[in-house]
Amino acid sequence: MSTTRQRVYGYLAEFTSASALYKAAEKVRDAGFKQWDCYSPYPIHGLDTAMGIKRSILPWFVFCGGMTGTATAFTLAYATQVVIFPTVVQGKPANIFTIPAFFPIMFELTVLFSGFTVLFGLLSLIRLPRLNHPLFASSQFQRATDDGFFIAIEARDGNFSTTGTRELLAAIGGSNIELVAEEDGIKS
Amino acid sequence: MAHHHHVTSADIAMAGDHLDASKVSKVKSIALGIAVIGTLASIYLLFFAPVKIRAPFAYSWLFAFYFFLTLSIGGCFWTLLHNVSNSGWGTSVRRTFENLGSTYPWMFLFGLPLLCPEVQQYLYEWMNIHRGATGNVKDFLNHEASLLYHKYWFMNLPFWYARVIFWGVGLSVVIYGLRKLSTDQDTDPNPGTARLFKARFHSTYTLIIFALTITFTGFDFMMALDYKWFSTMWGVYLFAGSALNSMAVIILVCTWLKGQGHLKHVTGAEHFHLMGKLMLAFTIFWAYVTFSQFFLIWYSNQPEETSYFLIRNTGNWNTAMITLVFGHFVVPFVVLLQAWLKKNPKALSVVAVYTLCMHALDHYLITIPERGISLGGEHMSQGAAFAGLGPIQVSIPGAFWGDIFAFVTIGAAFLFFLLRALGQHSLYPNRDPRILESANVSN
Repeated sequence: MSTTRQRVYGYLAEFTSASALYKAAEKVRDAGFKQWDCYSPYPIHGLDTAMGIKRSILPWFVFCGGMTGTATAFTLAYATQVVIFPTVVQGKPANIFTIPAFFPIMFELTVLFSGFTVLFGLLSLIRLPRLNHPLFASSQFQRATDDGFFIAIEARDGNFSTTGTRELLAAIGGSNIELVAEEDGIKS
Repeated sequence: MAHHHHVTSADIAMAGDHLDASKVSKVKSIALGIAVIGTLASIYLLFFAPVKIRAPFAYSWLFAFYFFLTLSIGGCFWTLLHNVSNSGWGTSVRRTFENLGSTYPWMFLFGLPLLCPEVQQYLYEWMNIHRGATGNVKDFLNHEASLLYHKYWFMNLPFWYARVIFWGVGLSVVIYGLRKLSTDQDTDPNPGTARLFKARFHSTYTLIIFALTITFTGFDFMMALDYKWFSTMWGVYLFAGSALNSMAVIILVCTWLKGQGHLKHVTGAEHFHLMGKLMLAFTIFWAYVTFSQFFLIWYSNQPEETSYFLIRNTGNWNTAMITLVFGHFVVPFVVLLQAWLKKNPKALSVVAVYTLCMHALDHYLITIPERGISLGGEHMSQGAAFAGLGPIQVSIPGAFWGDIFAFVTIGAAFLFFLLRALGQHSLYPNRDPRILESANVSN
């Protein structure tokens, strides 16, 4: 006979509406939790403030990505058309004052590099794509993509306790509170 | 943050949020005084002063007139756009759009001198040629000024006057009607949604009147300074500056009103964030359009098109043009990218003032470089009206003071009519069905 070891992920609680989720999120934030998240079928305006999430660092990545694009385009155009093979088109000078001719490609590469940085920066910050998520072990969690509003507080959070966290979730209006555990894949 | 307090109908001023007349009466009187004295002096400077002063001052007047007209036109634009796009976010600041737009008829009156041949002769060479024609005008042009012959269907005096009258009357009627529709709601004991739908419907086709007005006032007053030159980007270019800077004025007015304790509960950081985003968008749009205009002309190198940039890249004008590239685009673009700044009314107002300074430089560079070129030159042989104006020069020494004088005069009038409009009705549409949606906006 073999048993599968389980690793506790955390508590999952359901809330009745977006508004209830919003108000509950403020209380979880104020209780000092860091490792937790809200799940809703659609975006809720201002939920990031209610959760106390700091502004993402992504815009700075995008700014740097965009600037890299501008610099790449300029270097490419300037090196090939001014330095390596000076190209005279329509009597335009082959020096730094040709720069307006490079503007379209500088603009395009700024947009392209910014776009790439947004996509790949976002994916790495939110750790996607991934094959599985511990919450998928809960059957009620499927409703997060349909009509369910959930809060999950992770066990790895310093403030987590088996009884205290459950009581908190119940006190702020959570129902169907469930301790979600994932299989750790090691058989004993 | 917007969510500290959910705004309900209990927070809305029942009888409206009215500006205390005594608070602004002093500023209003001073502005009116400057405007009246300045206008009287300007009439002398435009019509009776010696040629050496009269001729350059015509350009000063045109510059100041069109600068402030773009701000009023922009107020009409934001009103129309907010209505036609069925927007809810800006209902709490929409009255400021309407008040700014309502200065349009008054500001257009400052264009009346430009309808007089005594002033036109220094600005619009094509009119001089038309007026100097002997016999049949079209036949004369066919022999003497081929370009004007081909442009006759558009550039002829009766059509020009008819158009200008339409630009003045058309948009005035539009903004008067929309503002009245909006302010009538404030005192209606049964405000419903009828006016909302009416405003939305009438903003559709009147948006066309707006588009024609910003485009063709630009053609008729500004592009016509050199009848040989043309640019199909011209209207879009002027529109970009108009939308951007009228939003700057709106932000300044809202910040000031907030500071005076008005717009309480209904306008907050979220609204300034949205208006700041619109400023950022139009900073980019202005740069995109302005560069496109330059780029196409620079690259194709057609002599009849390049004259515009040749004049403005000569002498110190070149420094000013380069300043525009960095000052009107690069700096505000980077500054306005920051979200915290757009949510802070005072910080955003600093950017708005800066943007307006750049708009003044932009319009100075649109109008004034033509002056030295058009007025100078003994070859013109235009008779006594041009006697003693000297040779063609990059800029006319001393004419700068006239530019400042005209700017202060029309600027004071603009301030007066704006403050007057603000004092006439509630500062936000307190009975609009979307006022709570707007007050609780989050983005």
